[in-house]
Amino acid sequence: MMEKKRILEEGLLEQYLSGELSPELHRIVEEALHQNSEVREHFDLLEADFERMGMEQAVVPPAQIKKALVKSLEKKSMVRIDRTPIWIAASIAILFGIATLWMFTKWQNAAGNLKVLQEQTAELQERMYTIENNYFQTSLQLRNINNPNVVPLVLYGNQKSPNAKVVAYMDHKRKAVIVNPQGLPVLPTTKTYQMWSDVDGEMIDMGILSPDEELVTLKYIDKAESLNITIEPAGGNDHPTVEELISFVLL
Amino acid sequence: MKTDFGDIQLINRLSEGDKSALYQLYDKYSGALYGVILRMCRNETDAQDLLQETFVKIWLKIDSYDASKGRFYTWAYRIARNTTLNSLRNRSELIQNEDLSVYDTKAEIKTGQENVLLKGSLKKLEPHHQKAIALVYYRGYTHKEAHEVMGVPLGTFKSYIRQALIQLRKSYANEMLWLWCIFEIMV
Repeated sequence: MMEKKRILEEGLLEQYLSGELSPELHRIVEEALHQNSEVREHFDLLEADFERMGMEQAVVPPAQIKKALVKSLEKKSMVRIDRTPIWIAASIAILFGIATLWMFTKWQNAAGNLKVLQEQTAELQERMYTIENNYFQTSLQLRNINNPNVVPLVLYGNQKSPNAKVVAYMDHKRKAVIVNPQGLPVLPTTKTYQMWSDVDGEMIDMGILSPDEELVTLKYIDKAESLNITIEPAGGNDHPTVEELISFVLL
Repeated sequence: MKTDFGDIQLINRLSEGDKSALYQLYDKYSGALYGVILRMCRNETDAQDLLQETFVKIWLKIDSYDASKGRFYTWAYRIARNTTLNSLRNRSELIQNEDLSVYDTKAEIKTGQENVLLKGSLKKLEPHHQKAIALVYYRGYTHKEAHEVMGVPLGTFKSYIRQALIQLRKSYANEMLWLWCIFEIMV
């Protein structure tokens, strides 16, 4: 071992003893002391001689020094600072701080994401409710018109409204009338379409039709002989304006 | 390293904050450390303050002592040496002159400073060995500084130190032999 030869021949142990070696040489000597038994034995003897020399050269200090030492340690309540645990504690505290900050940031992001998700969920729930409601309405209407007891009737417009076309679904068993008025031409806002049932020559009001609606449920009138559509003032009329009859169908 | 078992127990207690363990270590090592400090600064008042400062540092830094790296005395010696050197540097009193006659003759020692003279086996060493040991271990000189003071090459100075320590070891072995003989005669 090259270091062993160097340490013993260059007198590095004698310098290590007094603590005057450079940090690099100090490290080399300490490594050699741990790894090489011959170097260690040499140093053990050296230390023993050194301590004996120290004891031989001892000078008894005055008694007051010990008293002063005791006094300084007791009165000042001198607390030895164990630096290693402080550094460990400081490191843990720093790591904890970083982790807390990271967790806080993540929490803030998660809270933001959660809020967005909650809003989206509420929106989706609302849309689903609307769709369900529409589906229910549509299913109900389909069930009402797609029924063996339902008679579909088509009302074509006369010369007053040649493009008009209305489909009425009559269910005599359930006593219900559903009308699709979307084939009616759009009227000025002061006018409206109104449907009537003819019973023994008397026109009975069934309700108002709006071309905006897809299917409109009207009043079912017993013993009606025909269905009639007139143009009336907005809001409807008590009696039909027969001059404004645009369509009819016999039952 | 061969730290005394009793010392290890005291050091363990000291690490746990037991001040009485420090006072026991003081009782055992204060004389040796005071001998080093006093010879380095050659002022009793300063040496007393520095000894107290040294033990306060031992109290504060005991957790940095590693018994596997060396004896407690070696570690404490380094603290005492560095504490004293720092104090001397701060007071600009570390004058590296070549007048080291204090180690050679009594004539240079002021009245009341007889304590700074080397004694025991060290005094039996050859003057150049005695001076080399004194410079490095009792004046705080580095090997590089000390060889210049002695006016010899660094390699030669290192061999002085090595030879001096070997001589000391032989001297201590002879002392042990004498003690053993006296013990045998007494028994």
